[in-house]
Amino acid sequence: MLIKINGKVYNGHDGETLMEVAKRNNINIPSLCYKKGFEGLGRCRLCLVEVNEGKRKKIVSACVYPIRENLEVITKTEDIIKMRKDIILLLLLRSPKNEYIQELAKEYKIVSPERYIQKENDDCILCGLCVTACEKLGTNAISMVNRGITKKVSTPYDDPSKDCIGCGACAEVCPTNAIKLDENNGIRTIWNRDFDLVKCSVCGKYYATEDSLNFIGDKLGSKEDHVCEYCKKKSLASKFKKSFQNIY
Amino acid sequence: MNDISNKRKILVCCGTGCLASNSYEVYESLKEKLEINPNIIVQIEIKATGCNGLCEKGPVVKIHPDDISYFKVSAKDVDEIIEKTITNGEIINRLLYFDTNQKKKIINHMDASFYKHQRKIALRNIGEIDPLSIEDYLERDGYKALHKVLFEMEPMEVIDEVEKSGLKGRGGAGFPTGTKWRTCSKFEDYPKYVICNGDEGDPGAFMDRSIMEGDPNTIIEGMIICGYSINSNKGYLYIRDEYELARKNMEFAIDKARKLGYLGENIIGSGFDFDLEIVRGGGAFVCGESSALMASIEGNVGEPRAKYIRSVEKGLWNMPTVLNNVETWANIPPIILNGANWFNKIGTENNSGTKVFSLVGKVKNTGLVEIPMGTKLSELVFDIGCGIIKNRPFKAVQTGGPSGGCIPKEYMDVPLDFDSLSKMGSMMGSGGVIVMDDTTCMVEIARYYMEFLSEESCGKCTTCREGIKMMLNILTNITEGRGQLEDIHILESLGKTIMSASLCALGKTAPNPVLTTIQYFRNEYMDHIVNHKCSAGVCKNLTTYFIEEETCIGCGICKKNCPVNAITGSLKEIHVIDEDICIKCGNCFTACPKDSVKIGGAAYAY
Ligand code: SF4
Ligand code: SF4
Ligand code: SF4
Ligand code: SF4
Ligand code: FES
Ligand code: FES
Repeated sequence: MLIKINGKVYNGHDGETLMEVAKRNNINIPSLCYKKGFEGLGRCRLCLVEVNEGKRKKIVSACVYPIRENLEVITKTEDIIKMRKDIILLLLLRSPKNEYIQELAKEYKIVSPERYIQKENDDCILCGLCVTACEKLGTNAISMVNRGITKKVSTPYDDPSKDCIGCGACAEVCPTNAIKLDENNGIRTIWNRDFDLVKCSVCGKYYATEDSLNFIGDKLGSKEDHVCEYCKKKSLASKFKKSFQNIY
Repeated sequence: MNDISNKRKILVCCGTGCLASNSYEVYESLKEKLEINPNIIVQIEIKATGCNGLCEKGPVVKIHPDDISYFKVSAKDVDEIIEKTITNGEIINRLLYFDTNQKKKIINHMDASFYKHQRKIALRNIGEIDPLSIEDYLERDGYKALHKVLFEMEPMEVIDEVEKSGLKGRGGAGFPTGTKWRTCSKFEDYPKYVICNGDEGDPGAFMDRSIMEGDPNTIIEGMIICGYSINSNKGYLYIRDEYELARKNMEFAIDKARKLGYLGENIIGSGFDFDLEIVRGGGAFVCGESSALMASIEGNVGEPRAKYIRSVEKGLWNMPTVLNNVETWANIPPIILNGANWFNKIGTENNSGTKVFSLVGKVKNTGLVEIPMGTKLSELVFDIGCGIIKNRPFKAVQTGGPSGGCIPKEYMDVPLDFDSLSKMGSMMGSGGVIVMDDTTCMVEIARYYMEFLSEESCGKCTTCREGIKMMLNILTNITEGRGQLEDIHILESLGKTIMSASLCALGKTAPNPVLTTIQYFRNEYMDHIVNHKCSAGVCKNLTTYFIEEETCIGCGICKKNCPVNAITGSLKEIHVIDEDICIKCGNCFTACPKDSVKIGGAAYAY
């Protein structure tokens, strides 16, 4: 189906969200809680755009808005910029010390009114990506708990989680680097739990937790060699080279 | 000995309000003593009913056909009622209701100002029947509408009728019920679902509770009728966690209806199947929001989701779903039975029918009231509510629950309907009306609601969660004396962003209390910020009390009412308040017969 974004016509498939079409065509819509391959979460509210569906104009969030025939979209209006600024200001008040948020604020030229900065800095902006990532793995070790202004991401009862395999996927998707992941002497600490790290059998560097390798092993039903991503790629590349050499 | 009639009916109110003031004792005692009383030869029927609406004056006992209504009855009064009223037809003056508007005692409650102006459709049976008796319901035309629908009407005819009636959803935004059913009926995805939203969360509102407790069958009947018209065989009743009696009565009614063939397979021999299940609410205010409610029924966290695809198409478990609130369901059987034209004539052109309001706050009569749409706000407050407690000056009402708005006394004549209220920046919501007098501070009201919503928002989206938190911070600053002029501007501007950028209706309406109080009571905000004064005497940091020398007559009433002995003065001489001792309770302010106690601004800078 054809839709119009900022005056230009683009092609989209049924079931796609506006954000997916925009990303595919390199149209910039600011976002914090959207990640390619994940379904939209609609939490951060940064991805607001104006849509026109024939009769009415309305403000929607692009990451959860399913496209439909004859849709007209404007990604930047005065109102939208004002709203985005307000949203970034709110995030800045929540996470005044977070460098990613500070950078965003700088980009939008936002200075927070001194009087309203919150005393405790919270790096987590509750985008929900970590929870979704962990859910996708099938580990479900963390979730959103509480509601209203006390909402947070946490393991059950804040205790070290039995289900966590220390894979670090949550920390990797976090847009504000809010999840603490420390590695020291072959031990990774995340979500208040220590995990033994395993060394790559090729290069000898620590590269994954034992629990996560077991988890993958169980899932695939086979034991793989302990080789880190880097070395895997390298060996793949050399295999390629070899096979090419064999051809010529 | 009584020979007026050979049949008497005694109705004892056993709604949550009256039960709290021990009405069940009254019921038991009446039952027991009437059975063994040898003087009584008349046939007596005694029933425990649902709420009569005037809970504060309960327990309520009504005697038919004499039409005598007693209020604040206790078990101690039972002997006297049997001896005087039941046996001798005598009226007990002490137990009658005193109507402050008419300035007299009222024998039949229907003559009281509180009831006289009401028109009961949704509440038609409540207080008149025993909610646990399906026979009582049947006697008052119960399940006749269902019969008519199943045997005389096509599904589309049912939808036509509901659409023509102009009924709008009574739970909030006022979406036309018939349109919702029609859209849902068009989707050919099965199974479809029918949901009753019984998650009433507004503080002070209890209309849904009272219908579920007092007339459960009307909800069941309404839902089956919808099921038939959209071709759904399964319904869910989502009932707020705290509503134990409501859940119990609904459960009982569902069981009974199933046994008698009104629910389940092949309903009354029609070939149509429909059944109902009760789901216990998640206990959060946000679960009243429809998409959060469905998430909660599915067993997920009660978080709203974007509603770009409507639930009539993809609702519960992604199937076409019709969701209406309790009061809406209660309107369906009478509409079917009496016809759309009958319903249309009640209320105003675009807002047909009645609406149930829960009237609370600084008004003399508080309780549940059902009035035609378009009734003026002033009628509700002064004719039905009988005006302000202690006849203090009336200031404003707040309508629509925590995210509704405040309407000042200048707009007292606004008709109570969906359109007029939203034009005022407020909303109908589920029908909560809170009356405020001159001792209510509008800034504090706004702060209070932000505090409530900061805990009750689901916390999913930035604007709602962080926006409400920021508004709360600003309002706290203002009420505690640290406000600055720029704050009003920030509140207004941020409010607009929260309204358009939030994901669900909770966030989209949350700024209402702030924006309407700024709109209508800007002076009060300025008074707090510029003059450091709360003229309602509510914000303690911004209040001092002093006695005006010119008018004080030295009666000493203030002194007697002061809990900390802050007032000195001999009789017939001017009294003085010691600011250092005064705890600013305001007792002297409301007690002084000459209005000589005045409110001043802050004593210190904050
Ligand atoms: S590290 Fe633990 S919590 Fe994080 S994604 Fe992996 S399993 Fe989930
Ligand atoms: S920890 Fe990071 S990824 Fe998880 S919700 Fe917070 S900001 Fe998002
Ligand atoms: S009650 Fe009023 S009039 Fe009486 S002494 Fe106190 S201030 Fe004066
Ligand atoms: S406000 Fe209360 S404490 Fe203060 S003088 Fe009056 S009665 Fe006493
Ligand atoms: S990217 Fe759409 S709300 Fe966060
Ligand atoms: S419970 Fe009896 S009047 Fe409300």
